[in-house]
Amino acid sequence: MTISEKTLKPLTNSTPSVWFSLIIPGLGQFLQKRRERGLLIFLITLTLALLIQWSLTNQGVGKVNLGTITTSWLWLPLILFWIWNVLDARAFAASKTFTILPGILFAAIVIYVIAWQVTGIKLDRLVERFNDARTVATNLLNPDVITISVQGQDQICAWKCMYSYISDKLAGRPTEGVIRLSENFLNILGRMKLMPASTWRVNLGLAESGSKVNTFVAGTMIETIAMGLMATLFSTVLAIPVSFLAARNIMSRFSGGTAIYYGMRGILNVVRAIDTIVWGLIVIVWVGLGSFAGVIALTIHSVAALGKLFSEEIEHIDPGPVEALTATGANLIQTIRYAVIPQIVPSFLAYSLLRWDINMRSATVIGFVAGGGIGFFVVETTRMGGYQQYATALWAVAIVIILVDYISARWREAILSDQPQREESKKSTALNNLRLAFYVILGLAVFIYCWNITEISIRSLLHPGKNFGQLILDFVSIDLTPKVVQVVIQQMLVTIFQAMLATTLGALIALPFSFLAAKNLMGRNQFSIWLYYLARGVLNILRSIEALLYVVIFVFWVGIGPFAGMLALAVTSFALIGKLFSEAIENIDDGPIEAVTATGATPLQVIAYAVLPQIVPPFVSYLIYQWDINVRMATIIGFAGGGGIGLTLTTFFGSLQYHKAGTVVAVIVIIVALMDFASAKLRQALI
Amino acid sequence: MLKVENLSKVYPNGTQALKNVSFEVKDGEFLAVIGLSGSGKSTLLRCINRLIEPTSGKIYWDGQDITAIPISEMRKIRRQIGMIFQQFNLVKRSSVLTNVLSGRLGYVNTFSSSLHLFAAADRAKALASLEQVGLANKAQVRADSLSGGQQQRVGIARALMQDPKLILADEPVASLDPVLAHSILKYLEQLNKDRGIMVLCSLHFLDLVHRYATSAIALKDGELVFQGLPKQIDDSQFKAIYGQEAERVSVV
Repeated sequence: MTISEKTLKPLTNSTPSVWFSLIIPGLGQFLQKRRERGLLIFLITLTLALLIQWSLTNQGVGKVNLGTITTSWLWLPLILFWIWNVLDARAFAASKTFTILPGILFAAIVIYVIAWQVTGIKLDRLVERFNDARTVATNLLNPDVITISVQGQDQICAWKCMYSYISDKLAGRPTEGVIRLSENFLNILGRMKLMPASTWRVNLGLAESGSKVNTFVAGTMIETIAMGLMATLFSTVLAIPVSFLAARNIMSRFSGGTAIYYGMRGILNVVRAIDTIVWGLIVIVWVGLGSFAGVIALTIHSVAALGKLFSEEIEHIDPGPVEALTATGANLIQTIRYAVIPQIVPSFLAYSLLRWDINMRSATVIGFVAGGGIGFFVVETTRMGGYQQYATALWAVAIVIILVDYISARWREAILSDQPQREESKKSTALNNLRLAFYVILGLAVFIYCWNITEISIRSLLHPGKNFGQLILDFVSIDLTPKVVQVVIQQMLVTIFQAMLATTLGALIALPFSFLAAKNLMGRNQFSIWLYYLARGVLNILRSIEALLYVVIFVFWVGIGPFAGMLALAVTSFALIGKLFSEAIENIDDGPIEAVTATGATPLQVIAYAVLPQIVPPFVSYLIYQWDINVRMATIIGFAGGGGIGLTLTTFFGSLQYHKAGTVVAVIVIIVALMDFASAKLRQALI
Repeated sequence: MLKVENLSKVYPNGTQALKNVSFEVKDGEFLAVIGLSGSGKSTLLRCINRLIEPTSGKIYWDGQDITAIPISEMRKIRRQIGMIFQQFNLVKRSSVLTNVLSGRLGYVNTFSSSLHLFAAADRAKALASLEQVGLANKAQVRADSLSGGQQQRVGIARALMQDPKLILADEPVASLDPVLAHSILKYLEQLNKDRGIMVLCSLHFLDLVHRYATSAIALKDGELVFQGLPKQIDDSQFKAIYGQEAERVSVV
């Protein structure tokens, strides 16, 4: 026996570690220096056991009667998991590796069965109520955009009616009626209306005081755009000072600065963990319902997110110029102005643009709780069963968000490429000044307009609603009675399972679909390139609409509850995973494929040895990322009838039980922060 | 005159970068600081303008002990001490002119400089400094559009804005081609001879030391192992500084 073989075997006799793992799962692995694996196995076993017991007593999941004993059949896969762990420990003792697949399989069986049950999945409903779904689908494809008046009667003029109208027109036949943009469409976009003249018109002498003039009244979509713009502007401005306080390299220059740094980072993490929509619930207690509340909620979350990104950017600047300026005798403010700010401007701008994209998406749903914008419009129309009106809103959201997504991405690209201008390409300064002046005036006009239509009111900001003090007080003294905590944790579990099932379902559909949306695979001929455009189009449209807006469809289809919420999340998961997967496929390095092909491998072997190793790690990483996102989204999906913790939260808020709502928020913060941490660690380990 | 007495520096991680270093530099000297990487050259230069706080020892600048004064006073001393860096340390996205003007920050008030308002005299001075390093036509371009040698000349122009009495140069030519190395060192030599600015310059190549320096010190593991004229560094001295394995190489 050589020395190297000896060192490979920490325990020559496999029996002890097998016994250890039999008594406490993972202990054998732990003692054989496989600390992480052992700990993980122990934690998984413990979690599974708790889940089985909890789901059995609460929901009767997997209930079987064995004579007089009532128990869950889910203990069986857990026992199998336990056995696998013993075999794993034995394999390690013999310096072999044992496949982890059975372990994953048994754990997955337990988790998915429980998830399936507690999320209330009833596949039969999908079929049973398929006719309802078809009605909604028909309505969605025929949005209320055009109205036709036939003998004084107004009707929605959808595709079929439009087709016959246009063909009548073209053929010179008399049309069936007169068409115009529908009231619904004008509600979304905006309309001209006689309104009392605004102050600036009177002051400019354009109108008499008190007279009525034709004014453009913004529709809900315009209001939404304004909310997103204002929130992005405010949060960028506010995040700058915050980010300096949260940047370690700046704060460590002061005595006591490090304490401020840790405090600031902590606050930012907590604020960020609470979703914009939940902030909406809190803000309406402060300033009341309306777009202004929406702007504040978006701003709060956005400041925290940008503050973190900005401060990381400040921490990663090149320290050379800072050192150089300190050496010239410049003071701290001058050093920041001349050595720090020029370095961070491009990345700050890029992050703000990214945040603009995110804020626009949130702005489309903030109305669910805060009132105002297209979200509020959707709540109102769907409550009255106006699915064709709702459809118009969805299309409007899709168009706006796709545009914003595109513009934001293009501008970010332009900013981050950041090439020094060639001397000869510099334009004359006069023209530059003129352009600058034009942009400044345009910017100011847009700012004032948005300020007006989002009804920003400093007065209501300074005069919080009468319940706000109570809310703060209750949030500090949250309700920790076992009964409340139990309910909250149960609902949180439902939420986590919802997110998990949605991720799984979305990924299952996205996996084959993503190959269709990969340009390097589909761009080879005329036919498949169209398939590619179609697939990308579907993904982009679905991705542009927030899960909260989809819930309505599924509530109509399968009924209110976690199942509907899960399906809505699955749609957005499918869209995002599909995009990420297809990009991962597009980024495959051709080199290994060429090399493996050159050895004479068959196509199947090429896939197995050159393609799969390149795409599996990013795929798994994206799945974890998506689960992390979905847990956040699932915490709010209940606001629209999607069940889970969101429902609990709105119920507590609605009944003014703020101390219980505080418990919910606290649990959400903890879980989201844990998920964030765990998902980052897991993804790091994968790459 | 610069006088360093028993200077020591221990970093928080326990590394002793300087051990009881003492030496004197007379006005008008061009002092080369030599030694291996990690021998304490950079720490020594940075202790002189207190970018790094020395652990113990004294530094006398024109008879004043600058290790004892508060940092606000030190900023006034720093104005007299220009510094040039291996990586140039320019703000890449700012224009060459702004980089040069930033050398004047120690003299101007915080408020107006924050708004990028500089006196006409300062602007003229910046252009004159650029003229002196042969980059007057590059004032408006971004610093990162220049080559390495040009960027280092901007670094010199920035130091000139301070009206320095002393220039600390931390391996100013280590990132440059040998030909450019001579051009940069010639500028420093010119400033040293024409304006009488004292120069402390850490260098790697011994023939550059012979060519430009008027005196030299050598550090090894944080200790001063040589002090004298450049030409006194013979082969045995060389091996004492750089170790027995070292071979002399020359630069163009």
